[in-house]
Amino acid sequence: MDFYQPTSLDAALALLAADPEALPLAGGATLVAMMNADLVEPSALVSLRDVAELQTIEAAADGGFRIGAMISHAALADEARLGGGNEVVRQAAARIAHPQVRNIGTLGGAVAHGDPSSDLPAALVAADAAIEIAGPAARRVVAAENFFEDYLTTALKPGEMVSAITLPVQPEGAVGHYEKFARVHGGYATLSVAVVLAMAGGECSHVRVALGAAGATPVRVDAAEARLLGSVLDADAVRDAAAILAEASDPIDDVRGSAEYRLMLVPRLLGRALAAAEGGA
Amino acid sequence: MDISLRINGEECALSVPASRTLLEALRDDMALTGAKNACNQGVCGSCTVLVDGMPVNACLVLAVNVTGRDITTIEGLGEGGELSVVQQAFVDAGAIQCGFCMSGMIVSATAFLAHNPMPSRDEIRTALSGNLCRCSGYVRVFDAVALAAQRLSP
Amino acid sequence: MIIEEEFTVEAALGHVWNCIRDAAFVAPCVPGCQDVEDIGDGAYRAAVKVGIGPIKTVFKLDIQVSEEAPPGFARIETRGQEGTNASRLTAKSDLTLSAAGAGATKVHYRSDVQVVGRLAKFGLGIMKKKAKALGAEFAENFRAAAEAGSPAAISGG
Repeated sequence: MDFYQPTSLDAALALLAADPEALPLAGGATLVAMMNADLVEPSALVSLRDVAELQTIEAAADGGFRIGAMISHAALADEARLGGGNEVVRQAAARIAHPQVRNIGTLGGAVAHGDPSSDLPAALVAADAAIEIAGPAARRVVAAENFFEDYLTTALKPGEMVSAITLPVQPEGAVGHYEKFARVHGGYATLSVAVVLAMAGGECSHVRVALGAAGATPVRVDAAEARLLGSVLDADAVRDAAAILAEASDPIDDVRGSAEYRLMLVPRLLGRALAAAEGGA
Repeated sequence: MDISLRINGEECALSVPASRTLLEALRDDMALTGAKNACNQGVCGSCTVLVDGMPVNACLVLAVNVTGRDITTIEGLGEGGELSVVQQAFVDAGAIQCGFCMSGMIVSATAFLAHNPMPSRDEIRTALSGNLCRCSGYVRVFDAVALAAQRLSP
Repeated sequence: MIIEEEFTVEAALGHVWNCIRDAAFVAPCVPGCQDVEDIGDGAYRAAVKVGIGPIKTVFKLDIQVSEEAPPGFARIETRGQEGTNASRLTAKSDLTLSAAGAGATKVHYRSDVQVVGRLAKFGLGIMKKKAKALGAEFAENFRAAAEAGSPAAISGG
């Protein structure tokens, strides 16, 4: 296996374009684990460690954020500027695995891996984030909602990589919350609910909800949010919205919980997530 | 590939295959066998070492990707043949059972106390959540970290 | 793990049976099937490429039709391996065809699949979803092919 350590994004992209079996190495928290398990055998790794343009968090003038792909989960979890609705992303990063893994793993790596049981995909969909993609031919941007396509499968084409994530300006007064249910502290979610919520005059004035570990991609349904909008988040509204989300879910059966159990968690975790967000809104 | 890095304060030049993890390089090339190989998946924490002062799972880090970095292993914590305060606290609190997870626990605790010198019990639990003890002897481990914090406080 | 599915083909039972028992007809309908060889006595060899994200491999399969009752039932035993024996797969499958009204046939299959080795580390949860998706893709390909043509037309072309 060859190993390259380019210092610019263009150089990294050229190396990836030259070898279709090469993979970009971000932190390695997932890729090295998969190599250790003999699940992937790349012909070469292109380390992004020294690509400076992937390592910054920029606050945009309008209040949004642009976060470089190589920002670690630990750095994201410590980013005090991520408040309001975008707090959901900070909270999700703080719930990934353990300190040792958060120091290694990166935002871009987790997004590119596209594991629906991991924490960031649902949070990014709830925050209406956009994924910046760099490729040999061009740069493009895909909404987080359209980026995740299937288990471990994303909109990334061969030779492309995630270069940054942008978080939008959230509605005035919005609060983000990430609710995760896992068997042990730091485990993969049995189910998770990411929510960005704003209230006005006691009624829900903005809401985006995405479920993690509920299917091949984060699960978000317009009708569920429509049911919550304008409501006072009463038990009926939450129950109906949860039923719509559960209907759209198709979770796996595994050691972290049966599909049936995961579906049973949907109304409970949605209720908790909304209550927590409302408490802060 | 030829790499150079600092291990426990000493400059080291190594020649390793690109696929070799930092854990393998430490154990097999440097004979620093304090960091243990158990899950090789970043779950158990028994391979925890510090890279530039931050705890990481050495099994998830490729040696070629830490060129120029500062690595601290359990072997580098004590000074002049003496145990570090954290190591001594683990001994005094009776935290050690079979001992396999101990280097990871102590390295994690050392990094944690450097950032949070007066932690609550809950903060200690969270900080060590990435270190599994299959003897399940966590209570004495938390006691040890609290004792170390107390001894380190001015 | 058990994989069980059924689908309906708008064609007569006898025609569907002829299609499904012709390896050259079935092979192009199987997602990722790169190669199939009929070695006689109901035995076949096939190579099937599968992948989930960055995990990609080719299963080399030995397939044996161990029991059949034309035109409605076949029992198939499959053994295979990938990555120089890094994972091994065994499957016992029952295929049942039945008439479903005029000119239509219901195809039902039930497979008990076991995987050991490196791919088993990956977790059966996602693997089962993947197998289901591949099964649905096969069903759609096979249905379209069987409604459009016959084995001779394919092998002749």
